[in-house]
Amino acid sequence: MRNRVAATVTATATAHDWGSMSASEPEPSQDSRIKTIEELREYLYKGLQLEHATLPPYLTALYSLHPGKNSDAWHVIRVVAVEEMLHLTLVANVMNAVGGTPDLTTSGFVPDYPTRLPCGPDYFEVHLRPFSREALDTFMKIEKPAQAADEEDRFVPMDWAALGLAPAGATPAAGELAQLEESGAILGLVPGEPTQRFLSIGEFYEEIIRGINHLEDQARQAGTTIFTGDPARQVTPEYFYSGGGDVIKVTGRDTAVAALTLVAEQGEGLHGGIFDSQDEIAHYYRFQQLEKGRYYQKGDTPGHPSGPDVNVDWEAAYPVKPDIKLADLAGDPEILAAAEEFNRSYATFLTNINLAYNGRPDLLLKAVWEMFRIRDSMNRLIRNPLTGHGGFNAGPTFEI
Amino acid sequence: MTSFDDTDPVIFPAGAATQTSAAEAARGEWDAVIVGGGMAGSIVAEQLSQAGYQVLVVEAGPGKDLDLAEYESYLSRFYGAVVKDNQSPYPFNPNARMPRSTDTMPVNPGTPRDEFYLVQEDEYCSDTTFTRVLGGTSMHWEGKALRMLPEDFDLQTKYGQGLNWPLSYDDLEPYYRQAEAELGVAAEVEDQAYLGMHFPKGYVFPMHRMPPSYLDKTVARGVDGMRVNLADDDYTLRVRSFPQARNGVPNTAYDGGKGFVPVGAVSTNQVEEGERCQGNTNCVPLCPVQAKYHAGKTLTKALRKGNVKLLTQAVASKVEVNEEDRRITGITIKNYQSLESSSYETYTVKGTVYILCAHAIENARLMLASDMQRMSRSKLIGRNLMDHAYLLSWGLLPEPAGTMRGTSCTSGITDLRGGRFRRTQAGFGVDIHNDGWGWATGSPYTDLVELVDKQDLRGKELRRTLGNQISRQLLLAFMIDLLPDRNNTVTVDERYKDALDNLKPVVSLTIPPYTMRGAAFARDLATDIFAKLGAEEHTKYDRDRYSAVEYEGQWYNIVGGNHLAGTHIMGTDPTNSVVDHTQRSWDHDNLYLVGPGSLPSIGTSNISLTMAALAFRSSTHIVRHLRAAKAPATIRS
Repeated sequence: MRNRVAATVTATATAHDWGSMSASEPEPSQDSRIKTIEELREYLYKGLQLEHATLPPYLTALYSLHPGKNSDAWHVIRVVAVEEMLHLTLVANVMNAVGGTPDLTTSGFVPDYPTRLPCGPDYFEVHLRPFSREALDTFMKIEKPAQAADEEDRFVPMDWAALGLAPAGATPAAGELAQLEESGAILGLVPGEPTQRFLSIGEFYEEIIRGINHLEDQARQAGTTIFTGDPARQVTPEYFYSGGGDVIKVTGRDTAVAALTLVAEQGEGLHGGIFDSQDEIAHYYRFQQLEKGRYYQKGDTPGHPSGPDVNVDWEAAYPVKPDIKLADLAGDPEILAAAEEFNRSYATFLTNINLAYNGRPDLLLKAVWEMFRIRDSMNRLIRNPLTGHGGFNAGPTFEI
Repeated sequence: MTSFDDTDPVIFPAGAATQTSAAEAARGEWDAVIVGGGMAGSIVAEQLSQAGYQVLVVEAGPGKDLDLAEYESYLSRFYGAVVKDNQSPYPFNPNARMPRSTDTMPVNPGTPRDEFYLVQEDEYCSDTTFTRVLGGTSMHWEGKALRMLPEDFDLQTKYGQGLNWPLSYDDLEPYYRQAEAELGVAAEVEDQAYLGMHFPKGYVFPMHRMPPSYLDKTVARGVDGMRVNLADDDYTLRVRSFPQARNGVPNTAYDGGKGFVPVGAVSTNQVEEGERCQGNTNCVPLCPVQAKYHAGKTLTKALRKGNVKLLTQAVASKVEVNEEDRRITGITIKNYQSLESSSYETYTVKGTVYILCAHAIENARLMLASDMQRMSRSKLIGRNLMDHAYLLSWGLLPEPAGTMRGTSCTSGITDLRGGRFRRTQAGFGVDIHNDGWGWATGSPYTDLVELVDKQDLRGKELRRTLGNQISRQLLLAFMIDLLPDRNNTVTVDERYKDALDNLKPVVSLTIPPYTMRGAAFARDLATDIFAKLGAEEHTKYDRDRYSAVEYEGQWYNIVGGNHLAGTHIMGTDPTNSVVDHTQRSWDHDNLYLVGPGSLPSIGTSNISLTMAALAFRSSTHIVRHLRAAKAPATIRS
């Protein structure tokens, strides 16, 4: 995911050079909406929800690929999925650093797909669906959201009617609104401000960084700090099953901004370039390689990859029924049982990840084995045709 | 050629494997010509590249650019293979054949000439193998990376057996560390400092040890503290972690706190895979994610600077020697066009120094085929062939023990690798196999056939029984020392030629009583261990197999370890050895024989780490050699 932190971080800092970053000096003109530590934690919770929300679509597309086919696509999607888990971990580290408690087990944490992400003036829908050109198009949108031209553009009035959730000009009733906000069905809302949303997820993270700067400045003036979390709760690199990108231990403002910057630039690259500051190809460009049929290599310009060929077979994917629900499986009791079992094991997986983020970082190592189980469990569903669904196959429903 | 980033260790420069043609290579004058693109060849190439020399690597096997697509084609062939032996991932290549364990048979006049590559005429035949593709035998090795014991280096002095090395453990120690960095070894010093093995103060391995498997812990409950008496000495056994060249959790204390960055999968584009072992239990022949080291990880670095060129499908067929000064003048290669045809073109490539890194059998075969024994003062080319003698014991544990989880082998028993008993019998290490009985019986496939065909099981009952049975399997593999013996040989014989008209290697290997005493002791020890664990014995030795060896009225099956060594041993003078301590040929000034063939003994360590350490050490000498050779001549007035 991308955000505008590049604008607030002095250009030349690298992932290994946090000390030289001037990110800790906020620009005075940048007003922060986050006024309290509780609000900051609420934003960070939404960040966790957001980072996680990309995983089910990526995993569904990944495991929909025919085995032994589409190796190039397989590796591209897999790396991005692994790095989204890195982002989740980085946000959890920031949350822990500011004394918050990550919670991936709250009801509604996993969205009811399709979920909606803001993209400039519009929302776009993120579906659970098999690998396809449409899925790739969505993935590229996820990774390269719009950036506001100026301060006023950062927020967009929330048009609930356009989403079919309220009459024209109205806001959903309080109870419904709370449920919508909590459920992750619509991402990018301004917490506590139902009439507005962020222009993009990038702006959402920009706000978090401003909040951190603002609160930390205030705290320092009072001779304290907002970074009161127990360092033992940080997930450090030895526990993260690397697939590119390093975990950053967050202990203060600079490392917090560095972690959130990494989350941002792994989407679109450092200053929108092909590579991020850890020399990884940014997600947007990884996906673009599939579209363009060539790999990027050093020295390329965006949009013009010149490396080895990428071979994509758009047909070599199982026809998973998009946004499948348990309710669709009434005619296939065995598949229904397998889908329910998958949801249980996914819930267990989230529970264990959550324990890892709550003082037991070593449990992340164990999660690797669980991910194999999740993969096998997804494969079982994805490879089974449904009865009476016009040739579609089953898939994981992620109804947790 | 793809541009690449110097700092990224895993990007293989695209097009590097096809950048030069044989014709072009033959026109060049190289600083060094290396035969073999395996572990030793890659290390030497990389080191010479660093020093700025022009290097040509000729590789007999196929190998396009090392990229994920090719690696995955190997994997996919392996997955689809009915018999999953070490060579099953690789296409059949009539032009650079490799031995397959499935081909093992005594060759006699009635044997069709193309049924085998490794010719064995004796009643006892080893099923040992080595691999001829780009990357060499590192494309099937298991990845154990043990150091040799200090006492292994002077076995003759200490115990009156075998041969002394011209080097000591301490001479090799810094190079062991260099090899541990290159291969990426995961281990803890506190586990590995035994039987005299020592490490500099403060040293830590690049990565933390692989977690011991549940099976290891199960076996440890029976074995730890077990006492055995051997040649009047008492030994206490314990289960110990093996060092492994596969990616684990990096040790942040490595290199004075700089840490270690594991090297993942190699490809021509940026991929992120294999930075850590996932415990697929599929280490041999290929790690599905390249968490296990293979020579390609070093070769990518070697090809970086552009001063190393690679020529694949080029079988070294003759070493050209100047009869007068005995210097090497070239290597004649047969460059074949494809695996489907035996048409080839012949070229001679020339360099200042020549380095044969084609593994113990091929180095010897090439030299013998080039009639070099005639010029050898020791006459030891192809002699002293060694391989670890493996004795397998298998039993069924009373409870499921998680067999098939973890890497192939995470721990074993190493207390009997050394000791005074080696005066009379071979030392051995014991591997606890996390992959069940596969090596001994062909499990799990044979279990499945048995349960379906003989016990008529199906459905849930079949799954349950199979799972229960396999998860209780315990295989102990005893890796027994085999001493150098000049009568264990690689030779060539005009009767045996391959598709390119190259002479095939003829191997004759006898398992001596010294080793068999170790085997008999190991057999009894296995029985004791099974009894301690309450395991039901299933070991059966078959006297009708080619691996059958009789000792004191009992039959055993001694299988090959694929740890071939000793065919050009190093020593202190030209009459007792083929190479000196730098692995330079005593008889040919500009020839180095780098590889396990130089080992004068193999002790009870898998040979790769020692071979890699020696390759690093020799590289420094080759650099010195080249520097002297290329220095402007001083003209006296």
